[in-house]
Amino acid sequence: MRKSLILAAALTLLAGQAFAHARLLTAAPKVGSTGPSPQTLVLHYSETIVPGASSVTVTGPGGAPAPIGPLALGDKDKREVTVAFSAPLRPGAYKVSWKMHTPDDHNTDGTFVFTVKK
Amino acid sequence: MRRFLLLASPAILALAVVLDGPAADAHALVGNRIFPATIVTDDPGVADELALPTISSFKTGDDPAARELDVSGEYAKRLTDKLGVSFGETWTRVKAPGGDKAQGFQNFDTTLKYQLIKDGDREAILALGLSAEWGGSGEDQIGAEHHSTFTPTVFFGKGAGDLPDSLAWARPFAVTGLVGYAIPSRARDAGQRNARVIGTGLAIEYSLPYLAAHVKDYGFSDFVNHLTPLVEANFQTPVSNTESRRTTGTINPGLIWSGRRFQFAAEATLPINRESGRGTGFVVQVHYYLDDLFPKSIGKPIW
Repeated sequence: MRKSLILAAALTLLAGQAFAHARLLTAAPKVGSTGPSPQTLVLHYSETIVPGASSVTVTGPGGAPAPIGPLALGDKDKREVTVAFSAPLRPGAYKVSWKMHTPDDHNTDGTFVFTVKK
Repeated sequence: MRRFLLLASPAILALAVVLDGPAADAHALVGNRIFPATIVTDDPGVADELALPTISSFKTGDDPAARELDVSGEYAKRLTDKLGVSFGETWTRVKAPGGDKAQGFQNFDTTLKYQLIKDGDREAILALGLSAEWGGSGEDQIGAEHHSTFTPTVFFGKGAGDLPDSLAWARPFAVTGLVGYAIPSRARDAGQRNARVIGTGLAIEYSLPYLAAHVKDYGFSDFVNHLTPLVEANFQTPVSNTESRRTTGTINPGLIWSGRRFQFAAEATLPINRESGRGTGFVVQVHYYLDDLFPKSIGKPIW
């Protein structure tokens, strides 16, 4: 039993030093929020992201793609993904679909919706 | 064998760090859904994981009731992306009311599991498994059976992410469960019947990580956004070669905190009847995602 507990403690320490599956922690605009047309979409993940193998798409009312620029990582925080909207968004619901790749070759994807108010 | 595994496991993990190579995906990740590892009902995913330790304490259904402490570990390894095998062992101490104590290892467990369905759009997952409890590998003094038991099992999971917008608040709900049929290798041991038993398990969970990342971010603290409240239930019903068909089991309300590479779970254990135990017990578990800890060595499929 003692060996098991020592092993568990060692693994917990190791757990702070490896990469893992990227999970979305926060977003701006917030997940499920309603607000004015944003200029950028900022996604904060649990892991460092590989931008070349990751993607973000945004579709607006009627399924039309929203005008977005290329995916970029934060200067200081490589877990922060930013895409800029190249034009103001019309009122309505927007679906964000993301696929993220981490340096250890893990892939995750997800979706959420935010709404631009009139 | 079990002592070898316990002693060798730190060396195996150290070797894994040194030999890290290309990675692959794992976990019970199905579309937006991450099914966390549940404690009393095995989850429907095939993954590289280590549950160590799982500690439970409860009063048995004996008359008078004895206090039982179990400390167990389980190592799950993917052979391929869809096929995995797990090895489990439990150390048990039983303390009778008069002060008599017995302790030792239970029978060694192995499970072979195949991932049959993973449907991201519907957040649905299904696996088939065959578990074996190897008779005679445990110790008599804590009641380890002399016969082996083989249990074909169906594991399932379904997230509620496909509910309509009007029920968006309910999308973080998910259900996982299993149904198994335990077949002893011998009909009798020392004149006593060895019953065939249907085992069922169900976990109903509400994922706050799912709520924050896919439905609505209410601005809860980071700690709260990693919690999954859940209720597990676990039942065993003897169905043949038995004198009693009475169902025993427990209801386990609790919480799972899911981190980047490990999770911690704690549940209360409430027996459903007198035969299932007395009073409230508890079970706690630390569970490691080996595919995240060692993505390029022991955290990836062998083939």
